[in-house]
Amino acid sequence: MNDTIVSYLAQAPGYSLAVSKISEILGFDATGLVTFLVFGIAVFIVVNVMALVGGLGTYAERKISADIQMRQGPNRVGPYGLLQFLADGVKMITKEDVTPRDADKTLFFVAPLLALVGVFMSLAVIPFSSGFTLTSLNIGVFYLLGVSSLVGVAIFVGGYASNSKWSMLGGMRGASQIISYEVPVTLSILAVVLMAGGLSFGTITEAQGGLPHQWFILHNPFSFIAFFVLFVGALAEANRAPFDLPEAESELVSGYHTEFTGMRFAFFALAEYIEVFVLCGVCAALFLGGYNVPFGLGSGDFIIKNFPAVHPMIAKQIGNVLQLKVFVLKTLALYYVVIWIRWTLPRLRVDHLMTLCWKYMTPIAIFNLVGIAIWIYAFEGKSMLTLMASALSAMAGSGGGH
Amino acid sequence: MFLDTMFLLSALATLGGALMVVMSKNLMHACMYLLLSLFGVAGLYATLGADFLAATQLVVYAGGVVILMLFAIMLTGGVEEFVNKFGINKIPSMGTTKTYTIGAIVSLIFSFVILKTLSPLFKNYSQADLPPMESTVEDIGVLLVTDHALAFEISSVLLLGALIGAAVISRPRKINGGSK
Repeated sequence: MNDTIVSYLAQAPGYSLAVSKISEILGFDATGLVTFLVFGIAVFIVVNVMALVGGLGTYAERKISADIQMRQGPNRVGPYGLLQFLADGVKMITKEDVTPRDADKTLFFVAPLLALVGVFMSLAVIPFSSGFTLTSLNIGVFYLLGVSSLVGVAIFVGGYASNSKWSMLGGMRGASQIISYEVPVTLSILAVVLMAGGLSFGTITEAQGGLPHQWFILHNPFSFIAFFVLFVGALAEANRAPFDLPEAESELVSGYHTEFTGMRFAFFALAEYIEVFVLCGVCAALFLGGYNVPFGLGSGDFIIKNFPAVHPMIAKQIGNVLQLKVFVLKTLALYYVVIWIRWTLPRLRVDHLMTLCWKYMTPIAIFNLVGIAIWIYAFEGKSMLTLMASALSAMAGSGGGH
Repeated sequence: MFLDTMFLLSALATLGGALMVVMSKNLMHACMYLLLSLFGVAGLYATLGADFLAATQLVVYAGGVVILMLFAIMLTGGVEEFVNKFGINKIPSMGTTKTYTIGAIVSLIFSFVILKTLSPLFKNYSQADLPPMESTVEDIGVLLVTDHALAFEISSVLLLGALIGAAVISRPRKINGGSK
């Protein structure tokens, strides 16, 4: 079996003790039940924290956009307007739930749920830290690609079910955009898989190091380009500006969610903000070293070596918390960049969008893939900086001989 | 117990979805039920330990095929209801005694053939006999470029042909050799 949060917790001596205690009390083997409960609690935590991140995402978006445009932004509710998203949530819940008369009722009901379900399914493999990954599937990246495409279906169905011109056009744009940009994104991810030699997020992250020169983005020139292809493709997949054509308010009112009111609209908005977080997390895990903390702090080796008084298990937990922090920090930094891009660049035109995808990004991604394959074959997987360092030391060695 | 539950859920999704695809009067709804059914199949693969296949099922069908089908249905205008406001079929159904009989016989023959071919597989394994679940990614990768290299190449050539064909069909035509 692959690593899960349960197998991580099972390393602690108290876990098996607790399981046997519960088995005694209940009178049957409680291993399965405890596993189920642990997963349930972990999933509950992750989903709720992510919903909070999605809510705070709307706040961050407004605050950062205000900053960029030299405005104040929300500052009335709570300190610095921090509780604005809660006020918005209450507003959304109390709004009237309108279903257009000619809408396809079933699909109108299903579409927002589908969007949120697709995003939440992808949370299962996000590597928050070496211990706190819900499940480190062997096919993690591939699974993520599969379930995140459910959002595309949701956008299309939402646009169709509303029975309105604007929604329809928005939904069609969304679906075609997501299908198209999946190609360069997948090819860039494939390049990383080539370098790491595995599809699971754990393998990919462990193949990198804590310091920037050990990250895959600086591994070789091709991977440097691949990161930007992936990042731009991720922007397009999450319908973020400059690729927010499905909800282009200047031409389509509000795009695929024009007809959705109250919580249904909130579901779409929440799904979008969480998806941005997920995609930023994927970018961080694949190219920016993920949860790796430098100097052996993450695995707890540093603390064990220098502070022998600390119990190894506790040292490991401290390492895990640090890893969690590093991962979230990297992800949020990318999140900031995403919002920054949105309020800086104008929107693309539809045909420009498709041209960018098929005529520029896809060939570049294929070129990267071939380039990385050749690099790994030629230099046996060594990174650019390692090669430079060895070349320099060789030069210094020969220079000393003169 | 977990595997049993998962199998039951997946099988229910697969069969229920497939049934609703056939029963549904609305093509768009049928397509969504197809999505459910395909998800169920992915679940079945996952139950059998074929993780890679399950993910491929999701990527290819949920991501690609269903969206393309939705597009096709919408662009061809096949979404209108086939019943009028009194609940009566506008288009007479194709089911007559003759078609039902032929359909039943054909499905019977096919199921016999399939069961006959698969019969060596139907052994009652107990849970302990089964090999532990392992990653299938490496095996699939190795098999694809060794034993099944020819099939792999042929299918890639087929896909390339489809790609070029689509590009040729959608290419803007010159009218009378002049400007547009």
